[in-house]
Amino acid sequence: MNDVFQLSVIAGILTSAIRLATPYLYAAIGETFSQRSGVVNLGVDGIMLIGAYASFYIVLITGNIWLGLLAAIIAGLLMGLLMSLISVTLKAEQGISGIGLYMFGLGLSSLLFKTTIGTVKTVTGFQSVKIPLLGDIPVVGKIFFDHSLLVYGAFLLIPLAWWVLEKTTWGLQIKSVGQNPAAADSLGVNVDRMRYTSVCIGAILAGIAGASLSISLLNLFQENLTAGQGFIAVALVYFGNWKPQGILWGALLFSTVNAFQLWMQVLGVKIPSDIAIMLPYVLTIAALAVATNRVRQPAALNKPFERGES
Amino acid sequence: MASGASTKEKQQIKRVEMCNIIKYFPGVLANDRVCFDINQGEVHALLGENGAGKSTLMRQLYGLYRPDEGEILINSKPYTFNSPADAIEAGIGMIHQHFMLIPTFTVAENVALGLKSSREPVLDLDKVSARIRKLSQLYGLNVDPSAYLWQLSVGEQQRVEIIKALYRGASLIILDEPTAVLTPQEVNDLFVTLKRMVKDGHTLIFISHKLHEVMEISSRVTVLRDGRIIGTCPTAEITRNELVKMMVGREVHPLSPQPLKSGPVRLEIRNLQVMGDRGTEALRGVDFEIHSGEIVGLAGVSGNGQRELAECLAGVRKTTQGEILLDNEDITSLPLKRRVDIGLAYIPEERMRDGAIRDFSVQENVFLHDHSSTKYTHGIFLDFSRMRAFANELVNKFNVKTPSLDTPIKNLSGGNIQKLIMARELSRQPKVLIAAQPTRGVDIGATEYIHQRLLQQREEGTAILLISEDLDEIRVLSDRIAVLYEGRIMGVVERNEATVEQIGLMMAGISMAETMQRTS
Amino acid sequence: MFKRLIVVLVFVAILVTACTSPTATEAPTAAPVKTFRIAVIMPSAITDMAFSQSMWNALVAVQTEMGGETALELKYSEGMFKVPDAAAAIRDYASQGFDIVIAHGSQYGSSVQEIAPDFPDVTFAWGTDVNTFGMPNVYAYTAAAEEGGYVNGVLAAMLTKSKTIGVTGPVEVGDAKTYIDGFVQGVESVDATINVSKTWTGSFSDVALMTEAAKTHIAAGADILTGSSQSVVGSIGAAKENGSVLWFGTQQDQASLAPDLVVASQVYDWTGMIKEIIAKHLAGTLGGETYILQLKNGGLKIAFNPGYALPAEVKAAGEKAIEDITAGTIVVNP
Repeated sequence: MNDVFQLSVIAGILTSAIRLATPYLYAAIGETFSQRSGVVNLGVDGIMLIGAYASFYIVLITGNIWLGLLAAIIAGLLMGLLMSLISVTLKAEQGISGIGLYMFGLGLSSLLFKTTIGTVKTVTGFQSVKIPLLGDIPVVGKIFFDHSLLVYGAFLLIPLAWWVLEKTTWGLQIKSVGQNPAAADSLGVNVDRMRYTSVCIGAILAGIAGASLSISLLNLFQENLTAGQGFIAVALVYFGNWKPQGILWGALLFSTVNAFQLWMQVLGVKIPSDIAIMLPYVLTIAALAVATNRVRQPAALNKPFERGES
Repeated sequence: MASGASTKEKQQIKRVEMCNIIKYFPGVLANDRVCFDINQGEVHALLGENGAGKSTLMRQLYGLYRPDEGEILINSKPYTFNSPADAIEAGIGMIHQHFMLIPTFTVAENVALGLKSSREPVLDLDKVSARIRKLSQLYGLNVDPSAYLWQLSVGEQQRVEIIKALYRGASLIILDEPTAVLTPQEVNDLFVTLKRMVKDGHTLIFISHKLHEVMEISSRVTVLRDGRIIGTCPTAEITRNELVKMMVGREVHPLSPQPLKSGPVRLEIRNLQVMGDRGTEALRGVDFEIHSGEIVGLAGVSGNGQRELAECLAGVRKTTQGEILLDNEDITSLPLKRRVDIGLAYIPEERMRDGAIRDFSVQENVFLHDHSSTKYTHGIFLDFSRMRAFANELVNKFNVKTPSLDTPIKNLSGGNIQKLIMARELSRQPKVLIAAQPTRGVDIGATEYIHQRLLQQREEGTAILLISEDLDEIRVLSDRIAVLYEGRIMGVVERNEATVEQIGLMMAGISMAETMQRTS
Repeated sequence: MFKRLIVVLVFVAILVTACTSPTATEAPTAAPVKTFRIAVIMPSAITDMAFSQSMWNALVAVQTEMGGETALELKYSEGMFKVPDAAAAIRDYASQGFDIVIAHGSQYGSSVQEIAPDFPDVTFAWGTDVNTFGMPNVYAYTAAAEEGGYVNGVLAAMLTKSKTIGVTGPVEVGDAKTYIDGFVQGVESVDATINVSKTWTGSFSDVALMTEAAKTHIAAGADILTGSSQSVVGSIGAAKENGSVLWFGTQQDQASLAPDLVVASQVYDWTGMIKEIIAKHLAGTLGGETYILQLKNGGLKIAFNPGYALPAEVKAAGEKAIEDITAGTIVVNP
């Protein structure tokens, strides 16, 4: 029982948490861009699957991880264009289109997997890269500075996304079309173009989220590899109050509790496994319930824009 | 992506011509061969009733719509605007009736939106703020660049809109009903600013339906009716009555209600306290009474508790504290239906949301309340022939223009819907009538009719609470005027004693005692 | 209106793509007279390297033995993780006149119980379980997974240096549980001081969490991993990444996933059972019995990975355990 409080165990939990948080961070930051521009994309999980498949397949046949990453980006972009076409240009109901996109991604990735790969295979993906000096610090180095490039990328994405949204003219325009598209339009901001770009950025990041599973963390692909992680990512956007820093804490909370429960089981702490498994979800729901008091979602979320209607 | 740079000098607009503009909407010809022109340094008023086509015409000049036919010339060169960005580039700005602002952004962010930054791609809000302060000083537009929009009053928000246009170097600015949401003092401030802008070489188009404002600010006036130009002439050469005739198409006689000897107290409100939608206190202890045969006008800038008061009196909002007495009977905790039975009638502010059911027919809407009255039922069945006869009678009596009794009410004009709701409410001979914004969005003809009806009801002994943002309406109709500010009554004045200035000060939150000192 | 139509069409297209791909893929068909027909419904993919694949491989082997598609027609529905979908598929196949319908998942029991009485001429087989519901046309089957678990446990106990072994799995039920119970008994028979720690992830499909669970074991000092179920591939991935952690498989020979690291796998061989059920069906016995795969009856086999250099004395100990279980001198408790 006392084992839980050993330094090595705490370090192990944090190392696991950082790995587990990675796909959530990519996907949830991507969804933040989408939602900040006023589009709810519930198809994140489907896009992750397509991204995971595309990158895995390319690495399998070429052995080049960078080409694999590029494949995930292109796959994400195509899915993003499809979502934008349906929800922005054709103004379809966003929730339904997103679910449609999810099913499309799930079906297509399974089909392609069966026809081109067929059975479970593994690849050599992104390997851990120890950062010089920092990586040699005892304990801390192992926790934070000995991961694959895609893990570092996910954490660098947080300040980058914050900077884009809060400090650039472009971020201001994204937020404006999500808050009051008519006002943005009246100032010459091209609402549809901003939404297309934001949804596509979101989809590209979802594609990378998939790649972070299939060619970095797991190095394998199978049907429904993501197992609904994309939906948790969407929930994290609400949890994080549409802010990158909020999403970081949400993702870390979820993944730390998950890592914690795995360690509890490994160390043989006497609690039923069912309870341990429930822990991260219960805690996340509890935190979400507390957090909803301060939630302020983009005012034009889920609303198509048509000029002259107000 | 964004339109032109903020600091670059734009062309000076010397002359704009809109020639033979035709604009169709499904089923409506909104602009019918409209010709309109404006020269530098002018304030050109565009006058007309709701639906006359004023806003549609200006939205085409601002690039929000494209004309189906006709052309726009600026300094004698033809222009085609595909979007507001093109119009902004050409030096045109527009202050919309519903502000185009983003509440979660700061003033500086609202101004910078859509513009290139000097440090692209990074925002340069410090520079933007500095220029906003300069413009504020120059034109008397006092506003803090770092404040969030949701923290600002309506008047301040309008200043932000004007700064946005000036910041973009607009030399022609379109103002769409800019005074509709302002207190009289704020209107004065606005006019001071507008005059400074004109002096500086700006050109203004002023859309309004308030005649005295048009007479005060404009140098030329164009009247539109049913999508067509009725006439254009220098303001100095035309009278108010002539303008009304041009707008409505016939003579309109001003009302001059005779003082009545008011009867006993009908409605009494004591220390009424009510919560608003956001959980804040909307009414913080309101007291007043209305006598039989009296109209009490409730003035105030919208959002100061008027809606909550009306809903509370009607019985659709819960009272947290206080009492409402109707003919000395406590109705505070009675539900809507019981209040109606006792003799309360309610004309709601949002007539299409709270007063009628869009897809129901005219006849069905007449019987929204009375469908279970024994007059129209046989046991559990409705007596349709009697209902039809009654609906027919109301429609005729109140001059409701409708193709038939079975027409869905959503197909009627605003004025006719309002007349129908009024007919329904007044047909029960109520003891107390709550009329919230009864003429908002209603044309002059229907307004005139509704006003006459209210006065007639007053003569029949009904106690009427008239809630309106139109101070002119309140001053003409009311026997006494109460001013509501942040959920409190700032003061009650007799019609003959009230000056616009005094009421305006109370609307801005200054107590009656203080206003007496200031105005004397 | 036109816009709406396009949107509707797009969705129809999406739905069609989504629905047609993961389920009800047809195996090659042929329809001469007297072809014996078997349909199987499986919770995961036939390529899962585990539970579903073990059954499919067995069916294909029987088909080849019987003379190909003309003699035995096979159809399958995979990825039927939703029980109502599976129930619909079971009923469909039964009404299409298949001779045997195999519901390959313990979660399908209630569906079989409900549907079987409506099709008295069809044989239903389901597992893993032992309950035939007392119905004359239902066979139940299960695997004595604890037997192979015991053998793997003996081998693992002799190979571990850190004296720590990690076990991962989705949920603590069925043959996942019995395999691990047997494994622990096997380990204890060699060295009771060895620490076997277990993690359950609660999900059959969450590979990411399964992989992290395996990495957690490795971080906690485990040098041997084992586990059951479909998503165990994730654990092999973690073992492979580490490079020195060994793996013991179950249900299917998993050596191909990591040829250097897999020591041995318990293999479910359903061919004998399938052949017996076919024979009984043809003889007129449509059900009412329970089959249990055992080392003794050849339903369970231990596949040693030829690519792993297993010390001779360890292999000998493993083979002795197999003999003892077969002979009944060692009894493994499920």
